[in-house]
Amino acid sequence: MYKLLLSWRYLKTRFIALASIVSVTLGVATLIVVNSVMAGFVDQMKNRLHGILSDVEISTQMFSEIPHPERHVEIIKQTLGDQIQEATCVVRTPALLSFDVRGRQWTQQIMLLGIDDETFGKVTDFEPYLTNEIKRNSFSFDLEEDGYDQEKFKGDAGWKYRRTRIEIQRRIEANSREYDSLYDNAANAFYAAEPSHVETASHENTNTQEEQGTRFAPLPATLPDIPPTGNPVEEGIASQSPQPLTADQSAENQASNDGSIHRISPFDPHAKFRPEIKSEDLFDPMKDHRTGIILGLAISERKVELPSGELQDAYLIRPGDDANIMLTTIGESPKPVIENCTVVDFYSSNMHEYDSSFAFLPLSELQQLRGMIDPMTGQGSVSTIQIKLKEGADLDAVRDQLIAQFPPNYFPDYDIRTWQDTQRPLLSAVKMELTILNILLFLIIAVAGFGILATFYMIVVEKTKDIGILKALGAPSRGVMSIFLGYGMSLGTVGTGVGIVIGLLFVKYINEIADAVAVLTGQEVFDPTIYYFSEIPTVVNPVTIFWVAVGAIAIAVLASVLPALRAARLHPVEALRYE
Amino acid sequence: MSDVAPSNPLRIDRESKGGNMPATELHSAKSSSSKYNSAPLRIADTSVMSVSGLFKSYGKGAVQVPVLKGVDLEIEEGGFTAIIGQSGSGKSTLLHLLGTLDAPDSGEIYFRDQRIDNLAPRQQEHLRNREFGLIFQFYHLLPELTTLENVLIPRMVQDGFFRYLKNKRSYRKRAIELLEMVGLSHRLTHKPSQLSGGEMQRTAIARSLISDPSILLADEPTGNLDSENGAEVMETLTALRKHENLTVVMVTHDDQLASQADRIIHLVNGVVAT
Repeated sequence: MYKLLLSWRYLKTRFIALASIVSVTLGVATLIVVNSVMAGFVDQMKNRLHGILSDVEISTQMFSEIPHPERHVEIIKQTLGDQIQEATCVVRTPALLSFDVRGRQWTQQIMLLGIDDETFGKVTDFEPYLTNEIKRNSFSFDLEEDGYDQEKFKGDAGWKYRRTRIEIQRRIEANSREYDSLYDNAANAFYAAEPSHVETASHENTNTQEEQGTRFAPLPATLPDIPPTGNPVEEGIASQSPQPLTADQSAENQASNDGSIHRISPFDPHAKFRPEIKSEDLFDPMKDHRTGIILGLAISERKVELPSGELQDAYLIRPGDDANIMLTTIGESPKPVIENCTVVDFYSSNMHEYDSSFAFLPLSELQQLRGMIDPMTGQGSVSTIQIKLKEGADLDAVRDQLIAQFPPNYFPDYDIRTWQDTQRPLLSAVKMELTILNILLFLIIAVAGFGILATFYMIVVEKTKDIGILKALGAPSRGVMSIFLGYGMSLGTVGTGVGIVIGLLFVKYINEIADAVAVLTGQEVFDPTIYYFSEIPTVVNPVTIFWVAVGAIAIAVLASVLPALRAARLHPVEALRYE
Repeated sequence: MSDVAPSNPLRIDRESKGGNMPATELHSAKSSSSKYNSAPLRIADTSVMSVSGLFKSYGKGAVQVPVLKGVDLEIEEGGFTAIIGQSGSGKSTLLHLLGTLDAPDSGEIYFRDQRIDNLAPRQQEHLRNREFGLIFQFYHLLPELTTLENVLIPRMVQDGFFRYLKNKRSYRKRAIELLEMVGLSHRLTHKPSQLSGGEMQRTAIARSLISDPSILLADEPTGNLDSENGAEVMETLTALRKHENLTVVMVTHDDQLASQADRIIHLVNGVVAT
């Protein structure tokens, strides 16, 4: 009883000891803040990494292929039994994306993924990261009328945007045609009035007005045919002309590409065997779009900080715009192929690495483009098989099972790894960072421990006579010792408790604090343009807090052991005589 | 006495020493706080403590300063014994040895026919807490605690947490009673720094009596007080001695104070002067 009473009284009367545990408080608070923020980052990162990567994947090199993917999936399902939830086949290839920005070509490298729209969303967190809310619920590669992020695009996305763009394009073309015909008419009139000029201007032209009329006749409403060549290289060059593709021109390109519509030509001996072209079969950019492609948001989005400090989003390309992708076929002699696509949505996982490079096409489309479909069987090959496991399945065990099923000596081209294997360098770097930070911060608390030791030693010296009195009154050495151990423990508990409260409050209001610091110092603490988080993520882990508290209190108690031992060893007579 | 195992240090047959008190077991000696009721009158010439051949020197190695050089004495039950002597005559050291605060170099100390100078620390602590009431020249109150808490400290030391809480009410009652007896009932919540020297010493006296000790060891209780306060403290002590039927051993260098005692032991140069 006297131990508690005296510990309490010393706590109440020795403020210097309280000062010595401020460092414990600060250490504990810092540990909690650092751990929470780091855990928040790691958690977000892991979620995203895991969401994008499937649990386990079997992949091969990008210019190679896994044939008979259905057979593979069957074997995998047999091997894994009820551990597997879903598997999906993916084709991965590097490609070039080019599109028109203010009349110039913008070309950049992308990682093109051909995905199966049935199963891909079940294996990875793909759909939640789409910006279109309709697509998030029912995924397709079609351009949507509605559902695009109003805040991001301000309505300039989707079918309406596409129609407006094409309408404007057509009007510009109509205007320029009108201008051309006006110019031609004026010129015709000029040459008709003064035929002598014609002679000097051109020796080859005859003087007949009819011929002159033909010479300067207004251009037809549609541009002359480009004969179908069937050579993708030439086609590519044609569609890559520096001028933006006009709607009609691209319509005709498409018509010649897909082979179902053919112009009746007098030079085509088989013309009569081909189906007649109906107007509704023609590609109309107002109603139709090209192969749907989903781009990583960071490919298009540019976050710009205005002088006022506000962030403004700018877009190089929007849903509804067309873009070209250029990639190579696989096989013995890779050839470049170009495909015209329509951006149907953006993918925004907030992992910059992925958002700035990923683009998604329908699997069959990409297989076709890359020549991955076996002409004999009509079966496509893939480059990756991604597997999602049921909750609670052991990733590493599953990987080992799959490696046993596809032994590396028979399948040297297969790479079987879990998502953690893929991101191991990053995850272990973060883990090590956190460990080192924790060690350093605990050293701060240990330093505080030495402060407590020194203060307590002084208090024991100061209290020597009181210790003598207690011993004279029959208090055992152990009791005297426990006064000071209890004192140390209560100080440590108070310091840790206050530290936990401060730390948790700091974590709770961390974004407000960051803003306040930014206002005070004029220095942005947390720049969303760098981290792609709109605010600092935090995760408070009760286990961490528990261990931090235990550690801090243990340090305080350990620091009071030495003074307490000294107190216990005091000789009562000498202690009583001490002045 | 033949049924007592001689190996038990707590049971010592002292018949050969001439004592006529039966050997008592230390822990059962004070099993009841109403021992004065059960044994109200003790024969005055029975010794409660006896000391034989006590030697004690201070210092280390070659520089040994002998303080006690063979002290023999008996302290009578219910008596008021004064030990007087000059400064440095070893009287305080003798009192510390009697109170088991220090161990003698040689010699034996008996309390109720039990040798106490070589007991285990735990048993000595028990003795100091229950059997001996200690009063010091410099009061030795704990500055952080109030008067009442200071008086209660021996009880707090004695009981565990829950037992103390259980008995708290009776302890408080007794402490307030004792403080009333020493005339400090109006000072219960004062800290020692707010008390005068005489008041502090009277608090110390109350503290020494809280465990109902059988012997009061006072080391110059008035040594630090002016004559008026000193007289007051002595009055209190004398009144209490009679009221509680206490055995008192008082060390002093004041012949006048010593004259109030039943018996005076002169200590000169570490031996008892005859």
